[in-house]
Amino acid sequence: MRRQQLFATVAVVATLSLAAAACSSSKPKAASPGSGTASAPAAGGKLQQVVLGTTDKVISIDPAGAYDEGSWVLQWNIYQALLKIKAGTADVVPDAASGCSWTNTTTYTCKLVPGLTFSNGDPLDAAAVVYSIQRVVKINDPNGPSSLLSSMKSVAAQGTDTVVFTLNAPNSVFPYILTTGAGNIVDPKVFPADKLLPDGPGDIGSGVYTLSKYTANQQAVLTPNKKYKGDDVLANKGFIVHYEQTPATLKLDVEQGNVDVAWRSLSPTDIASLQTETSKVKVVKGNGIEIRYLVFNTSLPPAKDLATRQAVAYSIDRNAIANNVYNGTVTPLYSMVPAGLTGATQAYKDAYGATPDPAKAKAVLAAAGITTPVNITIWWTPSHYGAVSGDEYTEIKRELEATGLFKVTLQSAEWDAYSKAYPKDQYEAFELGWFPDYPDADDYLAPFYLKGGFYNNHYDNPAIDTLLTQEEGETDATKRLGELQQIQTLAAKDVPTIPIWQGNQVAATGLTVTGVDKTFDPSYIFRMWLIGKS
Amino acid sequence: MASSGGSLRRYALTRLALVIPMVLILLTVVFLLMRVAPGDPIQAALGGKLSPAQLEEKRRAAGFTKPLIVQYVDYLKQVFSLNLGTAITDNQPITTVLKVNGAATLELSVAASIIALVIGVPIGLRAGRLRDSAFDAGGRLFGIITYAAPVFFVGLLFQLVFSKWLNWLPNSGMLSPIDQAELPTHTHLSVVDAIWDHNMSAFIDSLKHLAMPSFTLGLLLCGVVIRLIRTNLIQTLKGDYVEAARARGVPEHKVVMRHAFRNALVPVVTVMGLQAALLLSGAVLTEETFNWPGIGNQLVTYLNNRDYTAVQGIITIFALAVVFISLLIDFVNAAIDPRVRY
Repeated sequence: MRRQQLFATVAVVATLSLAAAACSSSKPKAASPGSGTASAPAAGGKLQQVVLGTTDKVISIDPAGAYDEGSWVLQWNIYQALLKIKAGTADVVPDAASGCSWTNTTTYTCKLVPGLTFSNGDPLDAAAVVYSIQRVVKINDPNGPSSLLSSMKSVAAQGTDTVVFTLNAPNSVFPYILTTGAGNIVDPKVFPADKLLPDGPGDIGSGVYTLSKYTANQQAVLTPNKKYKGDDVLANKGFIVHYEQTPATLKLDVEQGNVDVAWRSLSPTDIASLQTETSKVKVVKGNGIEIRYLVFNTSLPPAKDLATRQAVAYSIDRNAIANNVYNGTVTPLYSMVPAGLTGATQAYKDAYGATPDPAKAKAVLAAAGITTPVNITIWWTPSHYGAVSGDEYTEIKRELEATGLFKVTLQSAEWDAYSKAYPKDQYEAFELGWFPDYPDADDYLAPFYLKGGFYNNHYDNPAIDTLLTQEEGETDATKRLGELQQIQTLAAKDVPTIPIWQGNQVAATGLTVTGVDKTFDPSYIFRMWLIGKS
Repeated sequence: MASSGGSLRRYALTRLALVIPMVLILLTVVFLLMRVAPGDPIQAALGGKLSPAQLEEKRRAAGFTKPLIVQYVDYLKQVFSLNLGTAITDNQPITTVLKVNGAATLELSVAASIIALVIGVPIGLRAGRLRDSAFDAGGRLFGIITYAAPVFFVGLLFQLVFSKWLNWLPNSGMLSPIDQAELPTHTHLSVVDAIWDHNMSAFIDSLKHLAMPSFTLGLLLCGVVIRLIRTNLIQTLKGDYVEAARARGVPEHKVVMRHAFRNALVPVVTVMGLQAALLLSGAVLTEETFNWPGIGNQLVTYLNNRDYTAVQGIITIFALAVVFISLLIDFVNAAIDPRVRY
């Protein structure tokens, strides 16, 4: 009986505690994260801790184990690389290196800043750089970025401050590759040579922050690295990354002040709603170069007919998609190379116009002797690019059928089945998206146009292949620009793909948060040190 | 007496022996289901990024191209050596996932069970005692609704009302980001860690975060409790010993609490034990709705990423937990009911 009474007492107390908690103060404590020791950061004031909420996942904090944005966001703030992308631009500038240069077309040499150390005090020298790059290749983790270094033949240290990269063939974008996660420098005394280091505060780098606490899929706590010797200046006293499961909870958390910045990925509907809540949050937009596009399999009917592909290109209304489906959170895209990157053109606008032209679509089909309406099946996936893809392709179907020239059947499949089917010639037309490895036009051309592209759509234009090889080895920037533009013009004529839109970077922040706009550039590098709070 | 003890021992040994094929079947089903499902972790993560040849090379490097039987034997070896491996998609050892996320699920399950009992037992008792009254009808209706209402729907309603409209409670998570960052981890149970650390602010914060998920899951369970208590109480109130107690002039509330309720609890305990499976499946949905960092939430993430190793590891532990609880209930049943024997 006593045990029962005890149990009953404990149960009642616990329930009452929960109820009391539910009815107590209506303001969540985290509504003002950073409160306590830090004071307002007005000019000369104390810096505050900032909380970032995101639905991105972290695959690995070890640079050898990740090839995804969620992991790289942490890595870019914990590690240094030889080179980095200057905030607000797509320019490559030195980071741990004092300078890098081409010795010849296949040899790239970097000299390190003297006196660098990792956050634990170990020296960062040329041997550490070589070790870091080599272990990415050696470990070759299934989720890792080793494929980015496939153009590298060898890497070697010369003395303690010089690193020499030898490439298999001329590759003008190699400096960009060194700014990705594949180029991050780790402490050889901490990271094993042949396997990944488990994620946690043991991940030692020389970047702006150190990782002081990490709970997978829940939270990463970053504190300033006292041994950092780079030129980036902190606008906060630390950063917390809070991992969320869904955009819906992310939106609620930024509304309630539980997170200071909600970035990646709020839905277009959520963004539109947050834009109206001006007393609680502000929506910050910046350049983004993530793209969505339609791919044609040029070996399958009806997409194998050039005229059919061109007629589709004449019929699509990108503005309607951007405004009606995405509430203006994306921008119409008229080349596979998004606006904002050097060399980007508007090749599809030049070739097919900015608005639909059913008359020209009809003419091109008639000239090719194709009977209308053309039956075409377009595939999309709800499980990789978000449920809004369904709305996007419903709109595309509406636009194509509005011309009277097409009868469109929409089909969808889960990503796993979808991504296996499209390279195997099972889809005549299908949706895909691209997230950049590095902000250079080559990353938007070579993967798509070189011998059928990574999606194996059988498009083959030897002239484009030659131009791609030339631009990758080109040392003359002006000549390279011309080659990039030529590729886009040729591809627009052949229409192996139709670019649809490029995404803007969008974040919702508390009203007192500053600096998010400074880090929004085509590199997608989230520079936590630029974000402050007053 | 010796015969009874021998019979009980034989029963226990037989039940234990049956666990082995049961577990083997479970492990095999888990393994096969993961292989039958389309896709793999490489395809899920890098499918839109690399060419088919590069994907195949990565698949080979990860061992996914090995014959199925070889993968199966490797899997069994891992399970029986208590090495559940490392998740492919986030590089976390499965034992760490079970420890960290399992603690969150435990915290939620315990809180939900307490709520289920605190709400369900009094309603069930009163409904049984006042059979066919308005309270009984209301109690039964409440029980049916809470049992039938989808967990995610109830959860979303709670979020809308208590978080979005009233702003009383945080909508998701186990702790506020700042508290979570500052609270040292001892047990991965946020309430316990806050008490351990004498951190009142974190304690209140953890209770606030626990309130909505535990009520959501607790309501699901309390429907079962209400109906069980009511039905069994009605049966026991018909017993001769209850009539005898009443005839001796024992007050009605004592008749109910001391005589009828205690006897009515025996089948309730048995069935509640079997609700462990319901609790775990409910926890998956509750965690997903409230972004609660439990094992169910993690399982959904791994399933979406086709992470064979992680899903196998977690489901194996889920299955073993249910098998263990069933076994325990069988033992308890056999101990209290002499008719249960082989």
